[in-house]
Amino acid sequence: MNAVMPQPSQTSAKAVRPWLKGILIGVAGAYVGILILLPFAGLAFNALGQGWQTFAAIFQDPNAVAAIALSFNVALIATAVNSVFGIIVAWALVRTRFPGRRVVDALINLPFALSPVVIGYLLILLFGRLGPLADLENQLNLSIVFDVPGIVIATIFVTLPFMVREVMPVLATLDREQEYAAATLGAGGWRRFWEIVFPVLRSSILYGVALTFARALGEFGAVLVVGGDIQGQTETVPLYIFRALNNREPGAAYQLALLLAAISLVLVVALDRWKRNHPA
Amino acid sequence: MKRLNALVILATITLSFLAGCGGNATAGNANALTIGAYSIPESAYDKIIPLFAAQWKQQTGKDLTFKTSYAGSGTQSRAIINGFAADVAALSLAPDIDAIAKAGLITHDWTQETNKGIVTESVVSFAVRQGNPKGIHDWADLAKPGIQIMCPDPKTSGGARWNILALYGAALRGEIRGIAKGDTKAAYNFLVAVLKNVKVFDKDGQTSLTNFEKGIGDVAITYESSVLVAQKAGETDQLVTPTSTILIQNPVAVVDAYVDKHGNRKAAEAFVNFLFTPQAQQIFADDSGALLGFARGVGEFGAIVLVSANIPYKTETAAVYVQGAIESGDYVTASAISLLLLVIALALVIIVETLRDSATSGGAR
Repeated sequence: MNAVMPQPSQTSAKAVRPWLKGILIGVAGAYVGILILLPFAGLAFNALGQGWQTFAAIFQDPNAVAAIALSFNVALIATAVNSVFGIIVAWALVRTRFPGRRVVDALINLPFALSPVVIGYLLILLFGRLGPLADLENQLNLSIVFDVPGIVIATIFVTLPFMVREVMPVLATLDREQEYAAATLGAGGWRRFWEIVFPVLRSSILYGVALTFARALGEFGAVLVVGGDIQGQTETVPLYIFRALNNREPGAAYQLALLLAAISLVLVVALDRWKRNHPA
Repeated sequence: MKRLNALVILATITLSFLAGCGGNATAGNANALTIGAYSIPESAYDKIIPLFAAQWKQQTGKDLTFKTSYAGSGTQSRAIINGFAADVAALSLAPDIDAIAKAGLITHDWTQETNKGIVTESVVSFAVRQGNPKGIHDWADLAKPGIQIMCPDPKTSGGARWNILALYGAALRGEIRGIAKGDTKAAYNFLVAVLKNVKVFDKDGQTSLTNFEKGIGDVAITYESSVLVAQKAGETDQLVTPTSTILIQNPVAVVDAYVDKHGNRKAAEAFVNFLFTPQAQQIFADDSGALLGFARGVGEFGAIVLVSANIPYKTETAAVYVQGAIESGDYVTASAISLLLLVIALALVIIVETLRDSATSGGAR
């Protein structure tokens, strides 16, 4: 993610005719505007069209509040788990050679390629009442599918590749001489990681966190299948939005949708700022 | 600064795991009721539930909290069988309740309860655009080329199965132009012709109708009641009732295995009984347009409703056929398709990996 963009040289800038440049800028502006800003503006208009009071009223609906809380908790857990394990997996894949390494490397991409609905269905086959693990769950008094843990597992699965794929390329290009030098000076493995490797990885980890969090917040299919959309228990924000639209309550849907969109926007802007303040 | 980062990360992880451990707290709460319902009556239950909770509080002094889930009737039935611990199942049609009973979760004879376990009724009807521009008046019009139909997916939606039963039954009874009474082959062909015109098979009846309202299709086959509700909500859907249709009966049942596990059988049974009170029935009538025959005369629908005992027998071939195909095929098909998708995903991943490998090794040489 820290690839240095080649700076357009003066000569090539001059070679572009002014009218062509104008058209290119116009196209770029229109493209971003139509695809991103226009829907966002429409959303904001629909959500806030009735004034701030009606927008705030969404927080009076206990199901909406529960959906927001659940979405955030699940996204936080998924992000935390995938951050820790993502860095470990990336480390193992880049720095070590073990039998089956390439299989693991390939499998990491599976959640990108597999439909989330299938992921939800597989979890039900595995942990459902008729699944092989049902007895174990009963003995431990655990409830996984159609409950929060199932949603957490599904979300972790869906967001698994982001951290690994952000960290791996940076780790692979990292010059190890500093680490060797530190080792000769007596620094332990843990200290070498925190003081040499981690600072280099920091911005890619940050991107990994942001992408994982955003994707976890937005997951729909897997969460719907594995959680059963039980209001106040397994209903996340995207499920709430979908149900509100189906119930001819577009107001509530727009309001929560705006909330989600605003969070994404804040994340993107914050990342951009951070990147500018911390040039790699 | 670096120390701080590490601390923040560690704290987040610890908190997260603590939050994650709260997952099993929901089991065994006697003062909570979980309702698993089909999609159509959601707005009615939203009003009935607080009324019942207030009455329960008055009678027992206990606060009863509710958890509700609304999905296609077939989806909901399978979710309950797979472990969605719903204390009360309110579904679109009897076979979906029977499937739960067959799985051993409903152990009493639910058809012997109040009104044979049927809580609401309606008829299969059409919603068309304002002014009926395509001139859709009866089943035969649905098979015309170029007509775009909205009908939910019979694999997940109970409403869709009612639609198919109504259509096939009308054809078998000789109520459709050009199809002789009792001609099963012609009736089947007519069914296929209509289904070919279906533009979208949505996953539940409510989604199908709201998608119709968003502008997709010329006609939606749906519950008469849901069209009446849409009109109340300000939609411009126009109701068309075919000359021959079917009486929809929506069952409700307490799920024995789950109420016994939760220890809330009394509350669950009281809730189901409450659904049959005039108060609740009035809400069903106002808010989901569906109501029981005994609450309002069937003739008042103003439609030619066929409610005779022999119709279920005549339509049984279709019921058995469709139901059988779904029941026998469902898990196998779902698993097969999932497996197929999994294999495709794996193949993609491996291909990408191989391409990446050959690209990098090629570059290195």
